[in-house]
Amino acid sequence: MERMLRLFAWGASVLVPAVLLTLLAFLLWRGVPGWSLALFFGDTPPLDAVLRGAPVFDGLWPACLGTVALVLLATAIAVPLGIASGVYQAEFASPRQRAALSFCVDLLAGIPSILMGLFGFALILLLRKTVAPAANTGLLLSAGCLALLVLPYLISTTRLALESVPHELRLAGACLGLSHGQVVGRILLPAALHGIFGGVILAVGRAAEDTAVILLTGVVANAGAPSSLFGKYEALPFHIYYLAAEYQTPAQLAQAFAAALVLLCITGGLFAVARLLRAHLETRWKTGRSQ
Amino acid sequence: MNSCAIRIEDLSVAFGGRTVIDNLNLEIGQGGPTFLLGRSGSGKTTLLRAINRLNECFPGCVTRGQVSLQLGGDWVDAYAPGTVVETLRRQAGMVFQSPNVLPLSVARNVILPLRTVLNLPADECEARMEQALRDVHLWNEVGDRLAAPAASLSGGQQQRLCLARALALRPEVLLLDEPTASLDFKAARQIEELLVELKTRYTLVVVSHSLSQAHRLAEQVFVLRDGGRVERLEEEVFRDKEALLAVMDELV
Ligand SMILES: Nc1ncnc2c1ncn2[C@@H]1O[C@H](COP(=O)(O)OP(=O)(O)OP(=O)(O)O)[C@@H](O)[C@H]1O
Ligand SMILES: [Mg+2]
Repeated sequence: MERMLRLFAWGASVLVPAVLLTLLAFLLWRGVPGWSLALFFGDTPPLDAVLRGAPVFDGLWPACLGTVALVLLATAIAVPLGIASGVYQAEFASPRQRAALSFCVDLLAGIPSILMGLFGFALILLLRKTVAPAANTGLLLSAGCLALLVLPYLISTTRLALESVPHELRLAGACLGLSHGQVVGRILLPAALHGIFGGVILAVGRAAEDTAVILLTGVVANAGAPSSLFGKYEALPFHIYYLAAEYQTPAQLAQAFAAALVLLCITGGLFAVARLLRAHLETRWKTGRSQ
Repeated sequence: MNSCAIRIEDLSVAFGGRTVIDNLNLEIGQGGPTFLLGRSGSGKTTLLRAINRLNECFPGCVTRGQVSLQLGGDWVDAYAPGTVVETLRRQAGMVFQSPNVLPLSVARNVILPLRTVLNLPADECEARMEQALRDVHLWNEVGDRLAAPAASLSGGQQQRLCLARALALRPEVLLLDEPTASLDFKAARQIEELLVELKTRYTLVVVSHSLSQAHRLAEQVFVLRDGGRVERLEEEVFRDKEALLAVMDELV
C-alpha cells in the first residue's frame, strides 16, 4: 500500500517536469526554425527599428514592446496595491474585517478574465456617454484591467507570506522597541520576501499571457510600437492567437510558433529580473550592504 | 536590599480567561541580580513579559494592576496611557528563554534595531555594535565573521548575541529569561560571570531553573507558586544550600 502511494507520488511529481519539457521541446522544434531577424523586424533595418523607432510592419517587434509595456504597467499598478492590501489584511485588520476582505479577494480571484475585459470595455462606453466623449480603449485601460485580474494573487500571497513568518520574529522586534509598523516594515516584510515575490512572479506570468482581457480593451493586430498610454497597441499573446486562428500558409503558422517562443523568452526574462531584484533586496536586508 | 527599581502591585495576567498570575505584589531592587524561581508553567516568563508589556503581543491576554519602573531617575508607570510602550521596551531589554536571533547577519542583528529605533548614524551603530559584542565576550569569537548569518552561531553564542543586541540599545533594566538554559557548563559559567559584571550597570531580573546559580549570584530571590502567588526568600534561606533545596522540594 505504502509502496503504491510512493509510486503514485513519484509519478505525479515526475509528470510536471515531463510535461514541461515536452512542451518546451515542441515549442523549440516548431519555433526555432522560424527565428530570424525578419521575424522580428520584417523589411525594416533592425537598428533603425530599435534605436530610431522606425515603424515595423511585418514583424514581432512592436508586439514584443507592447507586451513588455503592458506587463510592466500592469505590475506597476498591481504590485503596490496588492502588497499594501495584503499587509493590511495580515497585520492591521480586525478579524471581521479580515474575513470580509478575504471573501472579496476570493470573489475577485474567481472572476474570469473575459469578464474583466468586458468590464473595461463597459467602462469606456460609460465614459463616452458621460464625461469623456473621446475616451477609447488603449494600453492603460488594458493594464488597469490586467492589474485587477492579478491583484488577488498578490494580496493572498502577501497575506500568507506574512502570516507564516514565525511569531518569534514579531516578539523579537517588539522587545527591541520597534513599533508595530517598524516590525512589519523592517522585519516581517523582508522575511516574507520570498513568498511575496512568488506572487509577483505569478502575476507577471498571468499578465503576460492573458488574451481575453486585452482583446476587449485595446489590442489590435497592426498598431505598431506602443506610442502613448491611451493608444492602441500590439501584444504577443494576441498576435499568436490571431496568426494561429487565421493562418493561410504554413509559414504563418510557423511564425505563430516562433512568436510563442518569443513570449516564453520574454516571460522568462521578466522572471529573471524579479529574482535578481529579490536576491538584491534580501542581501541588503540581511547584511545591510548591496551585494 | 538596594533601593527599589521595579514595583509591581496587584498584578494579574490571564490568557484567554485563564489566570496565570493572580494579584501579585513584588519589589525588585536596583542592580541585583534578582532571581525568579518556580516550577515550569508557574508564570515566570509571563511575569517578565508583564514588566516590558510584551504580553500584549499575544492576543487574548488581559493584564490588570500596576507595574512601575525607575527609568532615567523617574518613576514610569508601565501601563499608564501616556507611556510609550516602544520606549519602555527599549529601556527594559529582554533576552528570551531560547535565543531568537533575527535571520540576518551577526552585525545586522545588533545594528538593525539601532538604526530603526534610535536612528543612529552608521558609524555610531558600528561602534555600539562592537562595544556590545565585547561586553558579552563575543567579539573575539565572531569579530571575524560579522557578515555570517547569525543562525550559524552556536546556541550559546546566539544567546549572547541576543544579550548584546539588548545591551546596544543602552537599557536600564535587563530581563533575562533562563539565560543559561540552553548552554553547557562552561558557557553557562561565562554568562554567570557576565551577570556579575552587568549588575553594576543594570538592574537584572533573572529567571532560572538552577538553584545553585541563585545560591551563588542572587541578591534577592522570589519563588513563584502555582496559582500565581509569589514568595520572597530571605537571604539566609537562599545563601544556605540545604534550606534552599528544602524550599524547592516542597514546591515540586
Ligand atoms: N501566549 C500564551 N497563550 C496562552 N497561554 C500562555 C501563553 N503564555 C503562557 N501561557 C500560560 O501561562 C502559564 C505560565 O507560562 P510561562 O511561560 O510564564 O511559564 P514559565 O514559568 O516561564 O515556565 P517555564 O519554566 O517552562 O519556562 C502556562 O500555563 C502557559 O500555558
Ligand atoms: Mg519560561
